[in-house]
Amino acid sequence: MTYDVYMHFPVIAIMTLFVGAFLVTLVGKKETARNIIAGAAVLISLTLLALLVKPVFVDGQIIAYWMGNWEPVEGYAIGIAIEIDALSLFFGLLVAIAVALSCFYSFRYIKQDDARGSFFTLYLMLGGGVMGIVLSGDLFNIYVMLEVMTFAAVGLTAFRTWNPNAREAAFKYLVVGSIGSTSALLGTALVYAQCHTLNLAQISAILPGNMNPTMVLAFALLFAGFGCKSFMFPFHPIAADAHGAAPSSVSVLISGVFTKTGVYGIIRVSYFLFRTMGLTSMQTMLVFIGCVSMFVCVTMALNQHDFKRLLAFHSISQIGYILTSLGLCTALGIAGGLYHAINHTLFKGLLFLTAGSVLYATGTTYLEKLGGLARKMPKTTILFLVGAFSISGIPPFNGFYSKWMIYQASFEKAAETGSIGYGLVTVICVVTSVLTLASFVKVGHSVFFGQLRPELENAKDPPLGMRIPMWIMAALCLLTGLFPNIMLDYAIYPATNAVYDTVPYIDAAMGSGYAAEHLLSTTPFVAQLRTFIGAWNPISWLLLFIIVLAAIFFVSVSGKGGRGRALEPDAKHAVFFGGEEAEYSHISGGDLFWGFKHTMRHYLGFMSRVHTGVTNDYVLWGVTALAAIIAYCFAFML
Amino acid sequence: MFKKLIDNAAAKSPWLFHINAGSCNGCDIELVAVLTPRYDAERLGFKLAGTPRHADIVVVSGPVTVQSLDRVLRTIEQVPDPKVIVTLGSCPRSCNVFKGSYSVAGPLDKYVPIDVSIAGCAPKPEAIIDGLALAAKILKEKREAMK
Amino acid sequence: MDIMDIVMYAVYILIFPGALFTCLFGLWLAGIDRKVVARMQKRKGPPLSQPAWDFLKLCGKECIVPAGAARGVYLAAPYVGLASLIVTVLFIPLGGFRAFGGVADTVVILYLLTIPTLAMIFGGSASGSPFAGVGASRTMVSIMSYELPLILVILAVGKGATPEGYYFTFSFDQITLIQQVFGPNLFDWRLIPAAVAMLLVIPCEVGQHPFDVGEAETEICEGPLVEYSGKPLAVFKLSHAIKMFVMTALFCALFLGGITTGMLWLDVVLTLVFCSVVTLVCMSLLHAISARLRVEQLFKFFWTVVSGLALASLLLVWFC
Repeated sequence: MTYDVYMHFPVIAIMTLFVGAFLVTLVGKKETARNIIAGAAVLISLTLLALLVKPVFVDGQIIAYWMGNWEPVEGYAIGIAIEIDALSLFFGLLVAIAVALSCFYSFRYIKQDDARGSFFTLYLMLGGGVMGIVLSGDLFNIYVMLEVMTFAAVGLTAFRTWNPNAREAAFKYLVVGSIGSTSALLGTALVYAQCHTLNLAQISAILPGNMNPTMVLAFALLFAGFGCKSFMFPFHPIAADAHGAAPSSVSVLISGVFTKTGVYGIIRVSYFLFRTMGLTSMQTMLVFIGCVSMFVCVTMALNQHDFKRLLAFHSISQIGYILTSLGLCTALGIAGGLYHAINHTLFKGLLFLTAGSVLYATGTTYLEKLGGLARKMPKTTILFLVGAFSISGIPPFNGFYSKWMIYQASFEKAAETGSIGYGLVTVICVVTSVLTLASFVKVGHSVFFGQLRPELENAKDPPLGMRIPMWIMAALCLLTGLFPNIMLDYAIYPATNAVYDTVPYIDAAMGSGYAAEHLLSTTPFVAQLRTFIGAWNPISWLLLFIIVLAAIFFVSVSGKGGRGRALEPDAKHAVFFGGEEAEYSHISGGDLFWGFKHTMRHYLGFMSRVHTGVTNDYVLWGVTALAAIIAYCFAFML
Repeated sequence: MFKKLIDNAAAKSPWLFHINAGSCNGCDIELVAVLTPRYDAERLGFKLAGTPRHADIVVVSGPVTVQSLDRVLRTIEQVPDPKVIVTLGSCPRSCNVFKGSYSVAGPLDKYVPIDVSIAGCAPKPEAIIDGLALAAKILKEKREAMK
Repeated sequence: MDIMDIVMYAVYILIFPGALFTCLFGLWLAGIDRKVVARMQKRKGPPLSQPAWDFLKLCGKECIVPAGAARGVYLAAPYVGLASLIVTVLFIPLGGFRAFGGVADTVVILYLLTIPTLAMIFGGSASGSPFAGVGASRTMVSIMSYELPLILVILAVGKGATPEGYYFTFSFDQITLIQQVFGPNLFDWRLIPAAVAMLLVIPCEVGQHPFDVGEAETEICEGPLVEYSGKPLAVFKLSHAIKMFVMTALFCALFLGGITTGMLWLDVVLTLVFCSVVTLVCMSLLHAISARLRVEQLFKFFWTVVSGLALASLLLVWFC
């Protein structure tokens, strides 16, 4: 394939999703036709992006595509560009995988709903919007796609209109999300007024080094706007409502890819357009926001009583990891953040899909109403355990590898700057990780283990059509954890290089030499620390583990001990109840971790109180955060 | 090879589970006395287990009241094989002074076969250790008889 | 890789320091622990071989799977926990001897150590017993308690000062190397609070008195283990004994590494002696003189006193 052929792939990848959205509406009530169109659209999109892996990741090419062939004239980019470097492709692939898997899951999943006709329209619009953001090379285009994505997401959040929570969540989402949209639009307008161009490449050549107060304001607005889209603290409460109320396959998108567009936007704004990431103040701000997001949200998650709300808080907590890691501004930090981004999409997608399966089988995700499902839904339980181990960073699953990279990056950053603060960042990351584990022990115990609730007697595993996407995600969780070197070499490091080396990106769009001509300094400002200060080899560990496990089994089987076979509910096989006849008594999620909750009661109580659920309060938080970010930027960035 | 070792082990680490079937607490105190520094039954490997699933020897004290009968039988049932049932004191063996009471369902051997009886009201710690050692021996025999 | 290498690796994995040796040494540590506690209470105590007899006896008992249990997880959990513990041993240096270098560092060990505990939590919770539910919850709280001081200790040890400047590392090899040059970390006054913190973390991680809130047999019938019997229980008891070895070996690697006599086998023996001594100091001594803490006392103690000690060390290392 030559450049002339595959340069058209990205735009087709976006267009198929949008065209699919309209075709789905046209076929009307024919369910099979709808499913075929939606499936084809997402698969074509995924295939096209997968074909770009070799030229972009391996050969290091950058694709600059001008819509309608409106190429730059006299050094000014007038037309709309679609520009794919390794970073864009990385996020694009992540989006495409999640959209495709979740789409196939939805076929069966939404069978229980009415209004199925509009689902895939909105779904493909959402996918297309996200894809548009990460592949676009034009700031205003990004804003347009941001709005497309937001409105599709609002519509999907309220998809189950019979559910008052869903309607309320959609409303909150609309109101608070508009703070982000507005500030992003205002920031875009200011940039346009100053630079007379909207092309990302050209802005990132002109802007750095020319920071005047207007530009600082523009930066703060764009940062807050994308931050709102990534639901970072203090925009997180709306995420909890939206993820919790939306259908699970949509939660996968909102949590897995929607938030990633915010992260992508923050990277583009602070590493490319303004190059402010080199400033200590900017690093401090991002790391601070990241740490607060991860700690506050994980403690909020411990308090939740609903499976999906708990997952929603965790997704912000994981976004906190990503932001912290990106804020370190070292090569290892960026790599760790990007790695965690793709891992988060995979394991959180898997967890939302298992939550969806639980909802599908039992009709509820309320932790206190569930229990003992492992006996009725063994396959879902295994999938859940894979997801839970991944997110809580149990080796050798993928979450561990990226977290481990983040620990090292922050500790190395501490070494480089001599600041103990970054050492404490490592500590916060580890504590968050163990609290994450705790909340998944809670879910595991109160949903899948413990005693079976009598009314769940008829629950069973979801149909094969829903299980296959989950198995694929689980396999990807394990594979990305087991073969980190392949991931690093073929996806993460190219994307990392793209993050801190902006020159090729500019030159590809504006003609070679443009960057050297306009940029003050073309040397990357990111510290090139890429050494690992520890060691972790998942494959060796797994091999040793399998050998030892096999040896233990061999000895155990050769001993021929008595093995209880009977499962009759006679007195002997009943659960020990202090001599009493066993009765239904399940330790539910709310009762767990008493010692922890008691000691932290003031903090947890405070947190519950301030998360009022009132839209006005959350808007207030959002506006305050916006003001604080603007004030901080003016105080420390001029 | 393993079988021989495991059979030997059965006598060397008998874990006790103690059930109070309406006892006056006298025998229970004596059983605890057995674990004190003076008598130290732990040197023979005896240990009080927290749950019947871990136990090898079930020690029952008290005359088995109507209220406790169900619970005693259920708990004994839950102990994995091989197991030995020991009665502690005169009550579970003969109902002692409570015999004939409307509220006593004992003696215990009406319901389950008893392996060792330790007599006395309350039995002396030395007697208890002697009885438990005998129980451990029976445990080993039962283990050898398995399969 | 020729046949000799394969044989050597097989010996490492299965015999020394792998499965066989780890099990035996773990049982030995559990034995001396019980003996010493008995002696401190003026009892004669069980023979040193008692934990081994317990293990063998449990192997010969019937294994009952409760009717309400999730059978697969319930039976697999103990074996997974044991295997991951044995693998963990292979990565911890024993007096300069290390079976598999470059596979896992200190932070990885921190995470690997949660797997056996997690296996116990999920195994117990799969049994369907409410006692196990309470036990699982308490065990998780104790993980939360010790993880904070442990990472602080690892960071404090990972950042040390040498006359040439600072070093930052998570790697066992480098920690051992530095100690070989500048003497064991235990004799560095700045790291003494961290060593004390680590000594308190060990019994909590192992689940030993007075921090055994999760397996309190008098309160909640041994928590997660309440329904286990026969072989799975034997495996859990063995894991408990091996954890003593893993944790004390970790202590020796972090604080007593780098003591060389010139002969590798002597170094290894010396480290094993240190392991036994550390067991006596931090487990038997505490066991014999204290009563079990309540759950919230445990959590508070670890997040204030023990973490405070570890943090003090980190600050001292950083600023002195």
